[in-house]
Amino acid sequence: MHRRWSHLATHLIVALCALITVTPYLWLLSTSLKYKTEVFTPTPQWIPWPINLGNYAEVFDRAPFGLFLINTLIVVTGILVVQLVTVTLAAYVFARRQFRGANILFLLFLVQMMIPIHATFLPNFLTLRSLDLLNTRVAMMLPFLASGYGTFLLRQAFKQVPRDLEDAAVIDGCAGLRFLWHVLIPLAKPTLVAFSLISLVTHWNDYLWPLIVTDTPDVRTLTIGLGMFVQQESGADWTLLMAATAFVTAPLLVIFLVFQRKFIESFMFSGLKG
Amino acid sequence: MRWKWGALWTAVVAILAVAFVHAGAQAPSKLIRLTFYYPVGVAGPLAKVIGEMTDKFNKDNPGIEVVPVYSGDYDPTLQKVQTSVMAGNPPDIFIVEISELPTLLAMNAITPLDDYVKKAEGGKYWADFFAAFRENSTLRGKIWWIPFQRSTPVFYWNKELFKKAGLDPERAPQTWAELREMAKKLTIREGNEVKQWGVTVSGGWNDWLFEAFVRQNGSWLINPEGTKVNFDSKEAVEALEFWVDLMHKEKVGPPHSTWGSTPPDFVAQRTAMLYHSTGILTFLRNSAKFDFGVAFMPKSKTFGAEVGGGNLAIARKIPKERQDAAWKFIEWMTSSDNAAQWSMASGYVATRTSAYTVPAFKEFLAKDARYLVARDQLQYASGKMMAPNFQKIREILKKQLDDAVDGRVAPKEAMVTVQKQVEAVIKR
Repeated sequence: MHRRWSHLATHLIVALCALITVTPYLWLLSTSLKYKTEVFTPTPQWIPWPINLGNYAEVFDRAPFGLFLINTLIVVTGILVVQLVTVTLAAYVFARRQFRGANILFLLFLVQMMIPIHATFLPNFLTLRSLDLLNTRVAMMLPFLASGYGTFLLRQAFKQVPRDLEDAAVIDGCAGLRFLWHVLIPLAKPTLVAFSLISLVTHWNDYLWPLIVTDTPDVRTLTIGLGMFVQQESGADWTLLMAATAFVTAPLLVIFLVFQRKFIESFMFSGLKG
Repeated sequence: MRWKWGALWTAVVAILAVAFVHAGAQAPSKLIRLTFYYPVGVAGPLAKVIGEMTDKFNKDNPGIEVVPVYSGDYDPTLQKVQTSVMAGNPPDIFIVEISELPTLLAMNAITPLDDYVKKAEGGKYWADFFAAFRENSTLRGKIWWIPFQRSTPVFYWNKELFKKAGLDPERAPQTWAELREMAKKLTIREGNEVKQWGVTVSGGWNDWLFEAFVRQNGSWLINPEGTKVNFDSKEAVEALEFWVDLMHKEKVGPPHSTWGSTPPDFVAQRTAMLYHSTGILTFLRNSAKFDFGVAFMPKSKTFGAEVGGGNLAIARKIPKERQDAAWKFIEWMTSSDNAAQWSMASGYVATRTSAYTVPAFKEFLAKDARYLVARDQLQYASGKMMAPNFQKIREILKKQLDDAVDGRVAPKEAMVTVQKQVEAVIKR
């Protein structure tokens, strides 16, 4: 009996959290389907009526959002794929190898996390200019191909794998990179998934850096398109801003819904048994 | 498992390759290609409008191609300009918020335009701009940039709510005292909760609005040269005292709001009167279901306002022939016809007197005289304060304004603090 009640309580709390999470999104969808005069009514109207699909058409008319989406996907996956390689290798070395200056080097990695991103803009911009890479998608990826945060996260995960296991693996002929590939990476899967999610969302939302290094719509990303609907002097065009936001956030939501089970599984079935 | 690594690397190489292709895609040519950074400050399809205008210019001017580059709000635009200038890769033409002139000069980023301005339109060009708009262009005896997307704060009132409160719906408050009385009548409370505010002085750019109040009270905050500050004057303290009266003592106006949230509040009838930029007029017209009016901001000793918005500048460290081409573009963008066109499309105030004689614009204004209020108020307006490190000065002022209307600090004390802190910033 007692168990049942606590079960119910858990469900209630979870349902409440879900509601809190979903409410802004529902309001966003509702606003994106309204006419301008229906947005700011004295009592909030949840169901848009009459429904206005024109906002979405107008958003696409104002900026090439389809192209922006493709660019965003390229930039975000590009960053993630390279990051996974660099981060895994770096974390492996920091966690499992002893070499001179390892601590200082790792400290530098941590310091990198503390430097505000704005401070790196100018040097990075100069580097890109000398490489003749301004106004390219590479320019948006290059500064993020290594990640101090990811290295740190994964190093901690790798460190938790007991020494004995490595010794056993080595005896079985599974040393070095093979050990990394066959033992460490599978064990650190939840960390890798968590880091991937964070990286994906972070760079999906990048605004200032892409804005600074790109000039033409053919390489620009979704957030820059979204920025056109936020106006400093007059406030925003809410119906359009919400329609654009719905479009910009939808792919992330879809990605999450599709891979939801995989994400959760990776957290459930991890760790060393026995 | 080997194939997995292979697949991974193939993916990396493929993605980088796709991205690299674009790097080499720029073909050289004889024509002068100018980069033009512009922010979008008000609602509307302005990026498209700018695109159409530059297309037209490019068509009429073979040999020059202006490439418009959307660069975010004012702050990101400034950052983009600064980064490019410091990297030695400046945009040829750009629009930046007017208070940033000293910052641009400190970076040696822009070129003086006196020689161009003198010759333009047979010498009559510069005098045709409204005096208040010209103010933020001149510093150290030179003209640095040309007024383009310019605004000024005005006063909006909801005629329906005036009627309900038993006030004359056709008459806006003329003085601070009148404003206070009307705001009291227009505030509706249910218990402790305010259902309807009397007047909203919009937050976010409240430093800008505050400057207007100080002007109305007959004083100023920073001199045009940006060398003297005057925040602790009797007039400035009185202006802040008036705010504290409205928002803290009488509680007829919200002490906190954002620049973006107050126009919707006005539309939703949560506030009966509103101080905001002239730039929201088109938004209000499209969104409000009730009749509303636009008026001068009420006076204390005098009517007063200051201007805002962005100006067009030409980069300093580019060859003369590029500067000449850039000037051609600026002169074209700010012609009477285009100033009128731009005002109609954006809701900004047309920057030149003669723009108001353009037939299409006259016709447009005849349909809604409310668009003329901002122009008429210009006779009482002055330039916006500017100084190096202006962002910092803004933050200092805004913090004290917020603290004062919250009742955390006395107005006098707040303004003395601002004076001290801003002096330190300017001396540096």
